[in-house]
Amino acid sequence: MPNVSLTFNSALKDLVLSSFANATRAIALVAGLAFSATFVASTPAMADDLENAKAFVDNLASNAISILASDNTPEVRESEFRTLFIDNLDMRRIGLFTLGQYARTPTPEQKTEYLELVKEFIVKIYSGRLTEFSNETVKVLRASPKGKKGTQFLVRSQINFTTGREPVSVVWWLLKDGDSFKVFDVQVVGIWMAQEQRAAFASVISKNNGDFNALLSDLKRQIGEAPTDTQAAAN
Amino acid sequence: MANVTNSRTKSLWVTLGVTLTLLAGCATKPDPADPAAIAAYEEANDPIEPLNRYFFELNRFADIVALRPVAEIYDGILPAFAKDSLRNVLDNLRSPVILANDMLQGEWDRAEVTATRFGINSTIGVLGLMDPASGRGYARHGEDFGQTLGTWGVAEGSYFYLPILGPAPPRDLAGFTVDLAFDPLTYIWWDHTEYSVARFMVSGVDLRARNLTTIDEIERTSIDYYAAVRSLYRQSRKAEIANGHIDEDDLPNIDDLE
Repeated sequence: MPNVSLTFNSALKDLVLSSFANATRAIALVAGLAFSATFVASTPAMADDLENAKAFVDNLASNAISILASDNTPEVRESEFRTLFIDNLDMRRIGLFTLGQYARTPTPEQKTEYLELVKEFIVKIYSGRLTEFSNETVKVLRASPKGKKGTQFLVRSQINFTTGREPVSVVWWLLKDGDSFKVFDVQVVGIWMAQEQRAAFASVISKNNGDFNALLSDLKRQIGEAPTDTQAAAN
Repeated sequence: MANVTNSRTKSLWVTLGVTLTLLAGCATKPDPADPAAIAAYEEANDPIEPLNRYFFELNRFADIVALRPVAEIYDGILPAFAKDSLRNVLDNLRSPVILANDMLQGEWDRAEVTATRFGINSTIGVLGLMDPASGRGYARHGEDFGQTLGTWGVAEGSYFYLPILGPAPPRDLAGFTVDLAFDPLTYIWWDHTEYSVARFMVSGVDLRARNLTTIDEIERTSIDYYAAVRSLYRQSRKAEIANGHIDEDDLPNIDDLE
């Protein structure tokens, strides 16, 4: 007797579960159709943007790789990176973002000086940090829009090393800039570079009781100290 | 004699306690009249920052005098295959912990990968020395109970930095302890704690050796190394918990930057 009721119970449960699953599937199907309908309606321009975003990253990455692969002197290399970074990064937005909570504290003069220093800081720091990736190929995987305005995009890519090192995942956060794009931030193995700098910048100011000049002098020191010889820095 | 040692130990503990309390007490609260300072303080979520910075400097000193030199020698002397083998063994030994956390997160596909890796690498891979599983489509991944708690919605908590262990906010510190309980070797080596300690140290050297230039470069180029590491730690934990998936709503809103 208990066996029978057990079988009945489980049969009932199966029935309930399967009809529930069917209903879910039907809802998902309808939702999917509705979604693809709206998506198709607004796609042509978007699809172009996504392809262009991928091409932009592909082009930028191969430019960086050819700079790293060349036999040029470190000075020449840094000046090549300077041009590449200034042309392709949204330096102003990066600079404002990395100020974080302190964006409203500097005077207009301090702000102008800061934005100039940040530009220099980024060129110095990242042309140095990039030397680590000298044996690489970049494979652009896919692009997706970020937000609803159609002005921001995330492009996923993977760096493969010729040395057999494990591949590194890199995500590019792009902002549409006229017909082209500018890089706002880059995520390497899960770490967004601008967010890291923002944390450090905020810490310098708060350690110095809100004195904005402390950040300016630390940036100056760092720019002066970071050797132009990126190769020597890597060794 | 026993008394002398006892009171000496006691006074040492008292001194240490007083020092730590003083350091922790020094944590500067932001100026209540300065909204930017308050917002920055909350964003950092690091209420015992002076104590954390003290331990951070302690570890940095230990790194300079011990860990880094050992890692450099290890990296320079051993051939690549030997280093890879050691890393494979360490990874393979961690499989039970990874498997337990894969399952607790309901990640059944990843659990299968972990179990298969353990099976293949322990047999064909000669006790874990090699990693033939990766070539067969079972790539390595890590998991720990701190991440499991994260997927369950447990927040990280305030930042906390410990000697030797490094960044250990409450969630991840709890995770570290639970993982010890998940690890069969904890019980197998119950009477030989020195084996566990040795394994911990070798793992540390291996990790440090694999990041020699990266860590140096970050230290050299950071205007505040401590704050940079804090951000690196939090961001990489977030990425690990999401298994590489990016939650767009979690990214900062930059519409107002003009």
